[in-house]
Amino acid sequence: MVIVALGFSMAIMISIPAGIVANQLSAQGLAENFNNTITNMQAEINKTSTLIECRTSSGRGMFSGGRPTGMPGGSEQEVFLNETAVDEIRSIDGVKDVVPLLETSSNETTSETINGPGGRSFTISRPLYTITGVCLNSSFIDNYSILPTNITAGRNLREGDSGVLLMSSNLTYYFAVGVGGKVEINDESYTVVGIYEQAGQGLFETRTVYMNISDAQTATGNTGNVSMLDVYAKDTSDVDGIAEVIQVAYSELQVTTYKDRLSSVQNMQTTYNETITNAQSTLSQTQTIATQEIVIVVVATSLIVLFVMLYTVRERTKEIGTLKAIGFSNWNVMSQFMLEGMLMSLVAGVVGIAIGSVGAPLLSGLLLPSINPFGSSGRFQGTFPAANSGILGVGAATAVPDPQLMLLALGAAVLLGALGSLYPAWRASRTRPAEAMRYE
Amino acid sequence: MSETVLKTENLSKTYTMGKREIHALSDLNLQVKKGEFVAIMGPSGSGKTTLLNVLGCLDKPTSGKMILDQVDVAKLPEKELFKIRRNKVGFVFQTFNLLPYLNAVENVELPMENTKKSKSERKERARKLLELVGLAGREEHRPQRLSAGEQQRVAIARAVANDPAIILADEPTGNLDTDSKYEIVRLLANLNIDQGTTVVVVTHDSHVASHTERMLLLKDGRIIKEKQGLHLAKKKLMCPYCGGRIQPSDERCPSCRKRL
Repeated sequence: MVIVALGFSMAIMISIPAGIVANQLSAQGLAENFNNTITNMQAEINKTSTLIECRTSSGRGMFSGGRPTGMPGGSEQEVFLNETAVDEIRSIDGVKDVVPLLETSSNETTSETINGPGGRSFTISRPLYTITGVCLNSSFIDNYSILPTNITAGRNLREGDSGVLLMSSNLTYYFAVGVGGKVEINDESYTVVGIYEQAGQGLFETRTVYMNISDAQTATGNTGNVSMLDVYAKDTSDVDGIAEVIQVAYSELQVTTYKDRLSSVQNMQTTYNETITNAQSTLSQTQTIATQEIVIVVVATSLIVLFVMLYTVRERTKEIGTLKAIGFSNWNVMSQFMLEGMLMSLVAGVVGIAIGSVGAPLLSGLLLPSINPFGSSGRFQGTFPAANSGILGVGAATAVPDPQLMLLALGAAVLLGALGSLYPAWRASRTRPAEAMRYE
Repeated sequence: MSETVLKTENLSKTYTMGKREIHALSDLNLQVKKGEFVAIMGPSGSGKTTLLNVLGCLDKPTSGKMILDQVDVAKLPEKELFKIRRNKVGFVFQTFNLLPYLNAVENVELPMENTKKSKSERKERARKLLELVGLAGREEHRPQRLSAGEQQRVAIARAVANDPAIILADEPTGNLDTDSKYEIVRLLANLNIDQGTTVVVVTHDSHVASHTERMLLLKDGRIIKEKQGLHLAKKKLMCPYCGGRIQPSDERCPSCRKRL
């Protein structure tokens, strides 16, 4: 009983620092992930100062290069624009090129379970993949980043391609095909000519099929429709004017320029910074709580040892009296009881480490607040109640006590045992030897 | 006459209970010679236990002098007293007071711990002593697997472990049945005869007392009477009843068949 009670104390002792370490790692991973994402986005945006993005559906303007789609919340009714707009916009003064794109979601959807720390997980539903039809004009392909560049197998799309597609690496798993294989989309068969590597993780993971825009129109029943227009201005100074003209002429289009995108990223960065600050404040809060808990546990453990040993000494008054009567010195008796208390704590420590190694994530989860990277006012708060690092591609942080900590805890256990037995052992040593005659 | 092992002069012990003073021992004078087998008798409350506690250095006298094996122990501080208890006194308790989680040998070894004897020496001596008290073959048994009489034998072996100047036994037969009682008395008597161990027994069993060589009657903290016991004859290997020749190992006198 006593051993188990003490064991739990010890388990708590080793779990808490493990929990802190886990939280720290989680916060660190979070910060790194944010920084990488933002750096990549900024680099991408800087390349496209003359690009005016025109999209038919809202909510996708934040990303330019990777075009992640199929984010939760992005499955609203898709709106398309007639192809005739391409020529009209091209005729606007200062416009250099208009690249039409058709981006639609696949009919198939998939449910994904994303794990968060502490064993919590949640399921999101999103389209299986995105079909992006690209105008395969070689001058477009050469001058603008409209196709992925990191091809891992096969080749990229090129002018004149028809009946073929390029797909993201993670889709090979879904379609179970490689380069040269056939994929059926809405009863039309396409040959896979290339596979590219997509880098997003967690929610940022994208699954996209690239093909000739005319193929995409046929495959998705959108003949004559486009969903996006990448408008390139001849000069950076023309960008704002052109964007205004387009916006006025096509109110259904959401027009974003370099400036918009930059400020969007900056907003994001602000949010992320807030998030990191939140995480850090949670972390320091966690540490305060942990310190308090450890102090409580240390005090409780010493008290348990104290009372148990006091009880033992009381119970064994006669035995102690006998020992003294047959010639044990005060010191002999005292050291004997100190040793007993320490031994008891050592066994409890071992039990505690056993419990702790198994139950550390659970215990530290119970005792410590876990990091909520989005704070209370974060923008993702509403969408993902269980928002946590796991969702952002950082592995769920689990509290695993390391061996050094275990050894330390064992030492602490023995020390606490010694501390708790000090007074009882002293009491024992003061027992009058004549007590051997009494009690029965 | 042989030397004196224990001598008290005007030994007094007073307990204060609230405002009342209880004189458990008052000006008690006692002398025990080396190799004697003495019984101290007395009714309840006569101060028997107090006397034994003081004699065994478990308690300090309020006043008076006490010489134990040439050491004046009455004024010794506790940090010296434990050595006296360890080396000069062997205690036998009414309730045996063996440590339940130690076996017979370990119990006998206990007083030898913290002495200069090595672990193997201690073990060897403990085994020898258990053989002496007739417990050969039961060395590894724990107290609960031994009968009451056997437990008291272990306790006696423990008492003599450090070759004490005197053995003090407090009602050693108080918790024993009749057969065991005789065994224990004979064991103490034989120790006294064979090893020359000085034994002081406190008892109110007159039978036990009669088998010692000198009986002291205690009343109100004083010795009021002294009587000779049967043991004196046994020391000369004579039956105290018929005068026939006996051996120390005899349970009954070979001639008159009386229990010795």
